[in-house]
Amino acid sequence: MRIGSLVASAVLAWCLHMPASCRAADAALIAAAKKEGRVVWYTTLIVNQAIRPLAKAFEEKYPGIEVRYSRADSGPTALKILNEARAARLQADVFDGTGTVPPLVRAGLVAAYLPPTAANYPPALKDPDGHWICTNLYFLTPGINTGLIPRETAPRTLQDLLNPKWRGRIAWSSNPTAGAGTFIGTVLRRLGEDAGLAYLRSLAKQQIVSVDASSRAVLDQVITGEYAMALDIFNHHAVLSAAKGAPVDWLKLEPVAAPIQVASLLKDAPHPNAGKLLLEFLTSEEGQRIFAAVDYLPAMPGIAAKVPSLKPDGGGFAADILPPEVLAQNTDHWMMIFKDLFR
Amino acid sequence: MLISTKYSGGSTIAEGRNSGRTGLGRVRYWRAADPTFAIVVVLALILGVMVIPPLASLVQGSLRLTTPTGDLGDFTLDHYRRILSDRQFYQSLANSLVFCIGTAVLAIGMGGVVAWFVVRTTTPFKSLAYLSAIVSLGTPYVLYVTAWLFLLGRSGPVNTALMAMTGSVRPIVNVYSLTGMIVIEGFLWSPLAFLLLAAVFRSANADYEEAARMSGAGIPRTLVHVSLRMMLPALLAVAVLIAVRSLEAFEVPTLVGLPGAIKLLTTEIYLDMKKSVPPDLGYASAFSVVLLFLAAILLYFYSRLVRNAARFHTVTGRGYRPRPFELGRVRYVGDAFVLLNFVLILVVPTFALLWLSLMPFTQTISLNGLKALTLENYDLVFHSGFYLDLAWKTWVMSAGAATLVMAVTVLSAWLAVRRRPGAFLLDGLATVPLVFPGIVLGVAMIQILLAAPVPVYGTIWAFVIAFAIRYLPYGMRYASSGMLQVHPELEEAAGVAGGSPLLALRRIVIPLIRPAIVSGWLFIFLVAARDVSLAVMLASPAAEPVAVAMFDLWGNGQGTELAAFGLVWTAMMTVVACGLYAAARQVEASGFGA
Repeated sequence: MRIGSLVASAVLAWCLHMPASCRAADAALIAAAKKEGRVVWYTTLIVNQAIRPLAKAFEEKYPGIEVRYSRADSGPTALKILNEARAARLQADVFDGTGTVPPLVRAGLVAAYLPPTAANYPPALKDPDGHWICTNLYFLTPGINTGLIPRETAPRTLQDLLNPKWRGRIAWSSNPTAGAGTFIGTVLRRLGEDAGLAYLRSLAKQQIVSVDASSRAVLDQVITGEYAMALDIFNHHAVLSAAKGAPVDWLKLEPVAAPIQVASLLKDAPHPNAGKLLLEFLTSEEGQRIFAAVDYLPAMPGIAAKVPSLKPDGGGFAADILPPEVLAQNTDHWMMIFKDLFR
Repeated sequence: MLISTKYSGGSTIAEGRNSGRTGLGRVRYWRAADPTFAIVVVLALILGVMVIPPLASLVQGSLRLTTPTGDLGDFTLDHYRRILSDRQFYQSLANSLVFCIGTAVLAIGMGGVVAWFVVRTTTPFKSLAYLSAIVSLGTPYVLYVTAWLFLLGRSGPVNTALMAMTGSVRPIVNVYSLTGMIVIEGFLWSPLAFLLLAAVFRSANADYEEAARMSGAGIPRTLVHVSLRMMLPALLAVAVLIAVRSLEAFEVPTLVGLPGAIKLLTTEIYLDMKKSVPPDLGYASAFSVVLLFLAAILLYFYSRLVRNAARFHTVTGRGYRPRPFELGRVRYVGDAFVLLNFVLILVVPTFALLWLSLMPFTQTISLNGLKALTLENYDLVFHSGFYLDLAWKTWVMSAGAATLVMAVTVLSAWLAVRRRPGAFLLDGLATVPLVFPGIVLGVAMIQILLAAPVPVYGTIWAFVIAFAIRYLPYGMRYASSGMLQVHPELEEAAGVAGGSPLLALRRIVIPLIRPAIVSGWLFIFLVAARDVSLAVMLASPAAEPVAVAMFDLWGNGQGTELAAFGLVWTAMMTVVACGLYAAARQVEASGFGA
């Protein structure tokens, strides 16, 4: 399951024959989109950090098309779209998230559309049925307080986490898609169901503290020293804080869970052409560079993160990519184990 | 007894304070002009339209399976079964009860005592108490909880100091405990108790207390046998609100309880709800229905108790003007208590947030940290002006909802307290939304608004309506508590003089209970502006309140940035709320001479 290294090796290939990535979008599409004048984006990205720079760049590139967005987590975003569609009053054109898309595909609401830029992406980062394409990556790793755990004594393997000296000092977010859920899932995927469960049983003896807050908030608690280590935090958060002087670092402890942020076009989008254009822009080299500039991890092979070691190819680690369907199918099971063993 | 004639002009039929209850005058008065029944019907319709559709969708959701696409599936009792079959049900139930009673006692104790000192004594710190309530209600909920966790956490300043003093190597205060949860939740709700009780105390008649004092009772006896008894409806109203709210609370149980492995009834429910996309709301809905029954039982006892409303009429045709107690030396105790409340409710959590907001990354309070002081986070706030652009929309939403709620509930409370035919229904209807979880109400609102012929979905008005529904129960309790104090003889006097009941309401009752109306309005204005769970469902590109925009930072932004945003927002809310409150006091003072 070395998908990460696959991705890494694929990088070179794509770099070599990157199609004219700055190629302008189809003129007819642009004209049709301009006629629509607006695109509505239901997003799970952070407005201040990512959405505003992306929207601004899009509006500058395509004057006359306004980007309107509404931000919520995956759950509420899916609920809103499902209910709007049921009332035949869909407002959104494009939506994104790590796990938002499967229920909407099942409800028959998602268009099978991949922008031309999809050609630059490896198969793992786009849906074979064309329902989604990845816009940016997340890598979930342990994060440590370097004041409490010197780097050389930090755990390197799953087994190291079982050392009794960590008992009661490790925390994780109870979040199913970035926290306890993904950690449990990745262990089971790596070790297999039986060995994985046996490992998790041992891990439960370490009295992992569950915090019902985002991984970012749990990492903040690690930084203050409330806990020495957190499992499944976003590795780029650790780098951002460390850059400001916080005593924190992330560990390349494999397997690294990699839920991916994907974007989709809605079948009955009120502004379908503008929606297509936005998808294309987000996955274009230009859009991907903006993701990198605002400290997100761009999905397009060949576009490095601001801190290149955060991505598998730059950092030399393997990641287990968790596409939306995998999350949708397994989260229930993973959270059941969480409840049984860790609560 | 002291006699004042300020309001005695119409007291010809009011020989004593219970005299009019079965008097002929009253019967004729209501019958002669009974537009009130029509009003009851209209109000019942309005409240019905607001409350019944979400209630229906709550009950329906609790009895049906949810399909993976979020549709309602087959009928099931599974959700209810799961609540009872939880392996640790009794432990959770016990924890929940301790949590809910502890919270209510702490909140009412703090809020009530401070309210009494502020309103009934000559303490010089009155405005500090109001400021504490306003600031604490204006602070986003999650930030308030985070601030306390930061202070009392294992690596927080309290434990660090205690460990340094005692030489202990282990943290001494464990905030992740039932006590810690009660303290934080109690602090959160004490402003509700303070505002409501202060309003009631302000309209309280000092005659009975003075009579007690003159008959030789000391201050404690007077308090217990007279003041507290007269306050019973208001105290119970607060108790019902806080009990139900803390039973269904999830922020403190999940943020504080979960790390401490303390399970409450709601813990499992809210974790379960977040587990899937779209969230499965069936389990949460079933729990709300159970809570609804519990609330109904509590309200039944409450309404039996206040049935003999005359016991609580303190505003009668005789003179009424609350006079402050002269406490003598005891007043220092009062001053100290009000100051302590100010420190605990306002200064300490705000200081924690201020510290965080001035740090480049979250770190505990220390001299060393001072070297890292930075204004970077504030720089960020003022360079993302768009958050502040959302401010006025947020104020329109909250002010609109608060006004709508108080208008409906003042009328409803008046009719209910005066026991007009059918009016008991109004009280019941207005209380139902107390148990709606934000997200459940949000889904119901989306469905209703999308089906409505008027294009309200996605606009500011959607928020006004939804917030109004959510905060009806609070408006109702504020209005009822005020209304219960006013003896009907004043309205009867108006009737004898030829005024209609509505005229009496407008010219006599509303001015008399204005403190309660202002407090209720203020409370709803402040808490609606910080609502996230309901608001996030209704947010659209065209209408989004600040709280929703701010809380995307909670998922991905550093705590220090969030603290800076939160503090700036709290400051803005405080300025607006204080301005409105001062304006209301002005009107009150000029129109009423209070």
